[in-house]
Amino acid sequence: MRKDQNLGEYLRMQGVSRRGFLKFCSATASLMALPPSAVSQVAEALATARRPSVIWMSFQECTGCTESLTRSHAPTLESLIFDAISLDYHHTLQAAAGHGAEAAREAAMEENKGEYILVVDGSIPNGNNGYSTIAGISNHDMLIEAAENCFAIVAVGTCAAFGGLPNADPNPTGAVSVSEIIKDKPIINVSGCPPIPVVITGVLAHFLTFGTIPELDALGRPVAFFGQNIHDRCYRRPFYERGQFAETFDDEGARKGWCLYKLGCKGPTTYNACATLKWNQGTSFPIQSGHGCIGCSEPRFWDKGGFYDPISAGQWGSRDALLGAAAAGAALGVGSALAARARKKKAQAAEEI
Amino acid sequence: MNTEAMSLQDFRGKLREMSVDTPGRDLTDEDRVRRAKKAFAQKLNGHRAVDMDTCLQCGMCAEACHFYEATQDERYAPVYKFRPLRRFYRREMSPMRWFYRAFTRDITVADLKEWQHLVYDACTGCGRCDMICPMGIKISAAIRVMRHGLAGAGFVPSEMRIIRDEQRDKNTLFGVGAEQLRALVERLGAQGINVPLDREQADVMLLTTAIEVLLFPDAFAATAKILNKAGANWTIRSDAFEAANVGIITGDDPTMILAIKRIVEKASAIGAKTVLMPESGHAYQTLRWEGANEMGEPLSFDVISIPEFVAAEIKAGRLNLKTQTNGASVTYHDPCRLSRKGGVTQQPRDVLTAMGLEVRETASNRRENYCCGGGCGEFVLKSAADLRQKAFEIKKHEIDETGADAVVTGCSNCRVNLMIGADNSGWRTPVTSLVETVAANLAD
Amino acid sequence: MTLLEFASGPGLQWALWIFVFGITWRVVGAVFLLSRKDISKPRHTNTISAGLGAVWSRSSPARAFEKKIRFQHVTGYAWHFALFISVLFFAPHILFFESVLGFSWPHLPNTIILITAIVATAVLIALLIRRATHPVQRFISNADDYISIFVVLVPLVTGILAFTHFGARYETLLAVHLLSVEVMLIWFPFGKLMHMIMTIPARFQAGTAFGRRGVKA
Repeated sequence: MRKDQNLGEYLRMQGVSRRGFLKFCSATASLMALPPSAVSQVAEALATARRPSVIWMSFQECTGCTESLTRSHAPTLESLIFDAISLDYHHTLQAAAGHGAEAAREAAMEENKGEYILVVDGSIPNGNNGYSTIAGISNHDMLIEAAENCFAIVAVGTCAAFGGLPNADPNPTGAVSVSEIIKDKPIINVSGCPPIPVVITGVLAHFLTFGTIPELDALGRPVAFFGQNIHDRCYRRPFYERGQFAETFDDEGARKGWCLYKLGCKGPTTYNACATLKWNQGTSFPIQSGHGCIGCSEPRFWDKGGFYDPISAGQWGSRDALLGAAAAGAALGVGSALAARARKKKAQAAEEI
Repeated sequence: MNTEAMSLQDFRGKLREMSVDTPGRDLTDEDRVRRAKKAFAQKLNGHRAVDMDTCLQCGMCAEACHFYEATQDERYAPVYKFRPLRRFYRREMSPMRWFYRAFTRDITVADLKEWQHLVYDACTGCGRCDMICPMGIKISAAIRVMRHGLAGAGFVPSEMRIIRDEQRDKNTLFGVGAEQLRALVERLGAQGINVPLDREQADVMLLTTAIEVLLFPDAFAATAKILNKAGANWTIRSDAFEAANVGIITGDDPTMILAIKRIVEKASAIGAKTVLMPESGHAYQTLRWEGANEMGEPLSFDVISIPEFVAAEIKAGRLNLKTQTNGASVTYHDPCRLSRKGGVTQQPRDVLTAMGLEVRETASNRRENYCCGGGCGEFVLKSAADLRQKAFEIKKHEIDETGADAVVTGCSNCRVNLMIGADNSGWRTPVTSLVETVAANLAD
Repeated sequence: MTLLEFASGPGLQWALWIFVFGITWRVVGAVFLLSRKDISKPRHTNTISAGLGAVWSRSSPARAFEKKIRFQHVTGYAWHFALFISVLFFAPHILFFESVLGFSWPHLPNTIILITAIVATAVLIALLIRRATHPVQRFISNADDYISIFVVLVPLVTGILAFTHFGARYETLLAVHLLSVEVMLIWFPFGKLMHMIMTIPARFQAGTAFGRRGVKA
């Protein structure tokens, strides 16, 4: 694809019909919670959009986010859109290597100064920079350099967004999220471990359409995708209301598809689009396949108690501590009673008429 | 029987003559508060502590109190009547006193003055509130501690102070002492009623009260007749006949213990197996339930009330009663200290039924019975006259509802109070005593 | 640490420590004041059963009183019943208790819990209004009475909000709900909520005292 070619031309060249394209546009518009009247606007904007330059940096990550995006079993419009951007640097996907690759990155940054989008997956080791380096440059330094002239940053995956698994206790590398290092650029957190592919492309489509940052929630996530929690949209919700729960993964309730709350489902506290968009071209999502949500799109999901502990379970502390509190209370009680009894004795002894 | 009773009017005149401002102890304000607290501390034990710590302040007790019901004055809610004690407990004796002290006001002399009205004028200690409390709190016991504290602080009302001092210092009440008893015994002897006075040995030692000697000598005579009829080996001692205990009424421990001691020592000395209490609720309560505890050792004799005695004698076949066939009906007024505080509720009814009388129950009866309105020494207080009358009206109403021909009671204090109430309101229903009713129906 | 993590972790632990510490402090301190043994001759000697009897019988007023206190009688039952159903038979609550007690019991459908919770809240508000307006109750009430109602009312309201996901994000509502429960736990030993514990010994001692005199408490 030529750089001056717009997206509409490119898609037509790839054999995507007008009908197919509009279908994608309306899906994108609905994803972004736009009214139906906005579909033509989206279509027009997308068809004439110039290909933005995207620099994708991978730090402490597992490549799962990239896999999520690229391992769809059939080519999709989402992946085509992804192809349509000018992906000038991506470790995993680029053909170039070594100094050539770094040179391409520097060239793209120079050429699109202030306009390119920086996509980051993976967390940044902030404890010892030596934990992760690329071409001898620490993740930290590379991020700061790349962020300096970008238009916006998209933190893809929970690692980049919130620190993710590398950040899990005891966090040996001192892993932090992008937002903990970069404070002066708009950052869009597309969390999830991995994020839903269409959510990644949806955010890029928003850029292409409007050239702006989408509305974000308190955690910097696009409200269009992270505005509602899994529980509220879960097809098993009626079983929750009726009090029908699977008690184990192989009981009658589990077979009947009852609510997984008791098995530790984190749906009620997890904000993501899994229950509506689902995965693998809308095939299924974890709860549908019989496992509770583990809350992977939430900060520190790895450290919030066991995946199989119900949300309402509390950490009561040890039994010994409670017994200790009781013993201390009893001791104070006896002490105060003894003092009061001494006072009573004194009052009884003092015979004054 | 004609035993030359003092008329009710004369007795009321005697009460009216009592001074309302005899000089009390000359104490400074600080002294009074200190002494009240000391008295509170003496009486606070685990039971009272649990009660204080459990109160929900639901206010249901107000609904059981005749004084609240009669006036709708929220200060008469029983829970409020022990408020200073609760404050003291919270500030100085409770396990969490260090915490509560920051939020609880200390008691002041002004409080004590205010509560003098609430716990002497507006409480007869009848304990009806104890029966309604959903937490089982013994409110009347807490109010008794309040009287104890006020007595310690020198806030016993004047009239009560007069009779307390009389009992403590002269061993007489309303001027009734050994001499007056002897005179009564002589008058009865002249009528052929033998009263074995001052025997050195007897199985049964009978007590009486000044009220009986003055106002209800017929009741005393009736008791003597019953004892004679039952063939009891009995006596009454001119040096220890007074059953009433002004000490417990005022909250004055030394006087209470002194009065108990006089009886206990004499009863032991003459080898009595039974001390028979006259028709006096508080006297029964005092000796029966407090006696051993105040003396610090179990009593060497049984303490029984007249209704218990009569019912037992009938059951044992030693006493035969005539059965009425005229269809007369009575209602029995349960004296609080016999019924809910003493457990004597069935016996008087059994006795009345044994005489063929129809017993009509008031809407509230037995352990839930309404107070006569003047118990716990209240009938001597002029400041409480209005309150008493209002409370009496409740009782009167319940009695009227039964349609019974007469009220029978087992307590001369209740009796005198009902009579005063009737006198004030022109109420005509006769008020009589159980023992007199029994004596009138003794079979040959 | 998020608010929810604090609420279900250290916040809960501290609240429980204070709860347990305060309860033993107050119960032991009151009971250990001790009372002189009653040596008067008892009319009835089986005081234990009389005490237990009173624990039961004081749950309903004597006939002579019932009419006068019907409002409190009925609302009292409605309140406690609705509260206990809501607290003890809501599935997430049971999971909460199970996490410390190690055992669980059957739950009720959420719809029923929602109804009982709303009933409990409504009754408690009615009782609050009564306390603020009834001449006797208003007169005798102190801060403890209002604080104790408040600290129970807030968990109910936040619980209903969390249950219906109304007003804020669920995890925030849940955290606030937990925190309000913790405030209640902390207040519990210091105020009159202690009646939950004290009712038994208080009624029992009344039952034994009346029982030995041959009076049904």
